[in-house]
Parts: sequence; structure tokens; C-alpha cells
Amino acid sequence: MNSKSMHWVNRLAAIGLVVGLVAGVTAAGSAQSVGGQAYSTYVNTPLGTSGQSPLAVLPAVSGTDGAEADAEGSALNVAGAMSGDFLNSITSGEIGPAEAGAQSTSSAASVNILNGLITADEVVANVMSSAGQSGAFSDAAGSTVTNLTVAGQSFSGDQAVAPNTNISLPGVGYVVLNEQIPSGDGVTSSGLSVNMIHVYLQSLVGGIPNPLTGQSLGGTLQTTGEIIVGSATSSVGP
Amino acid sequence: MAALWAALAGIVNSEGRTPMMREHGTLIVWPSLIAAGLLAAACSDQPNVNMAPQKPNFWASPPPAQCPTGKWTGGGRIDPPSNPDQELDETSGGQPPRYSPPSPLNGKVTFGFNVFLGQDADGNCIVNKGEIEVNGHALKLAWHVSIHNGINSFDGRPVFANEFSDGHPGGVCLVVGVPDRPPPTGFMTARVNPGDGREIVQFEVCDNDRGGRQNTRSDAMRWRTEGHGDTGLTYLTGGNVVEHGS
Repeated sequence: MNSKSMHWVNRLAAIGLVVGLVAGVTAAGSAQSVGGQAYSTYVNTPLGTSGQSPLAVLPAVSGTDGAEADAEGSALNVAGAMSGDFLNSITSGEIGPAEAGAQSTSSAASVNILNGLITADEVVANVMSSAGQSGAFSDAAGSTVTNLTVAGQSFSGDQAVAPNTNISLPGVGYVVLNEQIPSGDGVTSSGLSVNMIHVYLQSLVGGIPNPLTGQSLGGTLQTTGEIIVGSATSSVGP
Repeated sequence: MAALWAALAGIVNSEGRTPMMREHGTLIVWPSLIAAGLLAAACSDQPNVNMAPQKPNFWASPPPAQCPTGKWTGGGRIDPPSNPDQELDETSGGQPPRYSPPSPLNGKVTFGFNVFLGQDADGNCIVNKGEIEVNGHALKLAWHVSIHNGINSFDGRPVFANEFSDGHPGGVCLVVGVPDRPPPTGFMTARVNPGDGREIVQFEVCDNDRGGRQNTRSDAMRWRTEGHGDTGLTYLTGGNVVEHGS
């Protein structure tokens, strides 16, 4: 092989090496898996129960593919626990050569929890996760409650409540508004679950009644039920 | 009905289906080996309309896939008339200005979709498979479009589509339900709940942050209905629209 041929072989080999490295770096920046699910309501209380409804779960996505799932529900009424209408859930996800992501949204209208203890004209949970060359991240932009009241406390208008707002419900338990549960390392993976209204029902267990006051002494509060309205989850991973 | 059809058909210019311009390859510059490698990986000399399946490439912001091989997915929320994408993008690709039909469709609108493009025997851009769900919260209406093997499940007809550049640098839009044919076979039919009704609709999304960080709120969506109005092209309040190649 003459020197000219060697020169081209070396050049092609070098180019191939660089191309391979670039491809490898790019592939490392793009997620290989995506996930998502959304549901409008979940009720698990002594008053009654209802599973995650209507539930939309993202089908498996592979290659440079995408998918969407949705579920529509008309109305739900678990007597004494929760009622609502216009229940809708949507999730979608995609994997592309440069980026991958998933996005989920759920909603409920005319929400009434525990006989008016909590009400809202509308609840929307909206999350997205994305991974690409700039890293992986998730956010909950677009998640709001409209004309919310909690134990007489009003939040008028369509509001993006601060994440993980905890409000006590004396004698009942507590509620977490815009409950956010993140996951992932923010580099190659990221995920976020949002529950716009999450009621934790609590009871004192193990206490001893005070014969003078009738109040319980000792014991621990235990969660005896929960109600979730507006739940959306999205994730991307390696 | 006929007048509305005529109005709808007239305001969407099917001649606006201008193919995306692809950047042509750049000369390799020796002896900068790294530059050469990057360019070799990134550049292509493909024609404007690529009829063959495209292979993934490694651009930070890859050229958009085109019919017949484009794939689009996304979802989220818009809040028309807030955050209109009116000046930069709304009339790109021959799309009509808002409100067409005249009444605005305002309030919270949530959506999710997955659309894979294809081509019919006449070379028209069609949707091979797709699911589109749109919820109009002010009206408490849920629209759904379902397309399998190139046929809309709710009217038994093909659904035509169009891809084009918009006013954002690198931005690209997709319109599903393009009136390529004369009425009543243009646009597309959606199921409307409650009541399992039917309505003529058109769906548009724009991916304006392709290849970059996806929380720029520059992506947009538009939903046009025969009987319930037009959102106008509106920036997302949350969520994402992704054109993800072939």
C-alpha cells in the first residue's frame, strides 16, 4: 500500500472514530425509556372506595417511536367521600434520535370532597419529562386548581398552588395540595408525579381514654384512608 | 353547513404544503479532524422530499422528518385566548388567521396525541396511524380522533396532513385534517363526548424548541371545530410537542 493510500485509510479511520464518539455521546444524552400515567380520582376511605379512574397508562415505547393513551369518564360519586365530573386522563411519550419525553395530564370538574370540606370548580394535573443533550428534567407547569376551598379557606381563580402545600383538616387528617414526588438523577433520568389534591384521613390508634376529659392519651396517628384528585406522572430514563 | 364547509375549505390553502428546506452538506475541511468528523456525522445531501425512511442522525437539532415518514407526539395544556402564537406562526403554511370558524374556543384545553405520517398512492401526505384527544374544559367536551391503517375510525376516510416551517428558527408545524379534497371529504371527523357525537375538526401543533431544552413554552397547539369554534394557535401553558423523526 503506497503512502497516499495509507493517508486516506488513516483519515477515514480518524473520521470514523470521531463519528463514533459523537454518536456515543449523543446516544448517552437521549433516554431509552419513557413512562407515563394519569388518573382523575382515587378514593380509598371507610365511606367507600373507587380505584384510579379514568386511568390512562402509556404503552411501551421503543426505538424511535411514540404512543398515546387516554381515558374519558363522565362522573363519579362515592357517597360522602368524593364527587366530580368531566373526568379525563391523557398520557403520551416518545423516543427520538435527539430527545425523548413523556407528558401526562388529568382533570376533574365540580369536585366535592367529604361533604364540602374541600371543593373546587376544576382540577388539572399536568406534568412533562424530557431528556436530551441538555440533561433530563421534569416540570408540572399547567397544574392548577380553580376556585378551591379547603375547610373554609378560599383560593379564588385558577391557581398554581405552591408545591406540597400542607393544610390541616382538624378531626379528619390533612390535605397536600400540588403534591410533587420527583425521581431520577437529572442527568440521564427524571420523573415527576403530581397529585393536585391528596387527602390523608387519619385516626388516633392505641391511645388510652382519659376518664376525666374523655380525650385520648398517647397513641399514634395512622392514615386510615386517602382521596386523590388530579394525578399525573411522567418519566424518562436510560 | 355547505357555507361553513366552503368557508373552511377556502381559508386553508392546500398549496401551502411547501416542503421543508434541508440544509445541504458542507465541505469537509482538512486538517481539522474533529470538525471533519462532526460535519461528516451531521451533514447530508438529501433532497427536500425524502421518500425513503430516514435514518437517525446526530444533530443537536436534527432536520425535521417529513411526509411520508414523520412522527409526532405530545400533550399538555393551552389557555386561549392567553399566550397567543399569533404573530410568528399562526398563518405559516397557509393556515388561516384566528378565528376560523369565527367563534373563539376559549378556556382551558388539555390534549395528547401521537401521529405517524404516510403517503397515499397520489403522493399526498396522510396520517397512517394516530390518536388525538382534546378536552375543552369550558364546554366540558372531549373530542377524539382515531386513525388506523390510514383510515379515520369515525368516518372511514383518509386524513390528510401537512408539515411546514413556521416563524421560529428551526420550528416546524403539523396540521392534521387538511382539506386536500373538496367537501365533504376534507378535514377529519372527531367523536365528541358526552353523547358520542361527531364533529368536523382540524388539529395543529408546532415544535419550536427542537433539539433544545423542552421547557421553553414556545411549542404551540390549535384546535379548530366546525361547531364549537377555534382556539387560535396558542403557546402551551404546560406539556410538550415533539417532532421525533422517522
